Amino acid sequence: MTEGREQDPGPLSGAAESDRPALDPVAREELITANLRLAQQLARRFLHRGEPFDDLVQVASVALVKSADRFDPDRGVDFAAFATRTIIGELKRHFRDKGWAVRASRRVQELYLELGHTTGTLVQQLGRNPTVAELAEATGASEEAVIEAIEAGQGYRAASIDASESEDDPLSARLGEVDGNFGSVEDRALLGPALATLPKREQSILHMRFVDGLTQSEIAAAVGVSQMHVSRLLSSSLQKLREGIGQAEAGRR
Amino acid sequence: METADRLGSGDRIELKFPARGDLIVLARLVTSAISARAGFDIEELEDLRLAVGELCLLTLQGSDAQHGDLHLELSVLGDAIEVVCTLERAQVATVPEPEGEEVARLSEQILDALVDEHGRESRDGSARAWLRKRRGGHAE
Repeated sequence: MTEGREQDPGPLSGAAESDRPALDPVAREELITANLRLAQQLARRFLHRGEPFDDLVQVASVALVKSADRFDPDRGVDFAAFATRTIIGELKRHFRDKGWAVRASRRVQELYLELGHTTGTLVQQLGRNPTVAELAEATGASEEAVIEAIEAGQGYRAASIDASESEDDPLSARLGEVDGNFGSVEDRALLGPALATLPKREQSILHMRFVDGLTQSEIAAAVGVSQMHVSRLLSSSLQKLREGIGQAEAGRR
Repeated sequence: METADRLGSGDRIELKFPARGDLIVLARLVTSAISARAGFDIEELEDLRLAVGELCLLTLQGSDAQHGDLHLELSVLGDAIEVVCTLERAQVATVPEPEGEEVARLSEQILDALVDEHGRESRDGSARAWLRKRRGGHAE
């Protein structure tokens, strides 16, 4: 049985590149050329998220070039495996940076609303209810997206304030509570400026650990330092953040 | 907010469909619905959907999928979703084709990047692949 997770290159930071020996230019060129198809194949996997294919290929190709720049053949890791993780990481980061998650939720809601209008129009035109394929063609969305919007749309139906999920727990009984996420928003507002004061390398390591979810060992491999060193860097970075947030809070009082 | 249609630890959903590439969309749709109900955020949900598509492709490699079924079991286990995909009633090639192996390798590399754990095996005329992904990113 094959276990997943080989060496993970992590985010493409300058800090990681400087610690690695450069491949000779011919070998680098060959690696890139031989794997352009891989970049395209991976870009294609992300097509359903609504970004133009050309943009995705461009992101994947840049990530491929950076993979070649950061690749260390002495580590005994297959380049394609190494590049795949890097390219997927960059594609995901591309969507994250563009606020894709928020837009995707909105897009599903908008499509659901649009399907309502389109269904009405098609019923008049066809004299019967439209099929999913017809709705997909009329809205320009894929059939999969239409089905998902219909499914997700069930959650957007206006509910009665007294509609209950259980007899003892009507919706109205839960209105007026303070949203627990307010605290989280406040924390983020404080964290941003404190994070910006850290050196780029420490920001990068924090990103790998807490955004990408890499282990300390994986970060160590990506950055080219020992796991112990990563552990020390994380501890000192977090300490600096705590101090930075403490100062910011004191300044606001 | 808790809703009546949430899935919790121990819940399991099974799906069986003819082992055809064009029907893998069914696996992706079911995965979306289950991930949403198990509390995965939209990015994790997209990762899982992509990963389950790859899992199905992986299971189909090297088989005579004309006559088989893909059996998908999706389980919510604590803060994770585990998906097991089994190819049933199909002829599985004893000698893997080079092209199929290349496709399988790509699928495995994609799974490496998207989920916490995964694996596959092929024996006794059936192929099986599985994955596990936790909420809130990879855990140490």
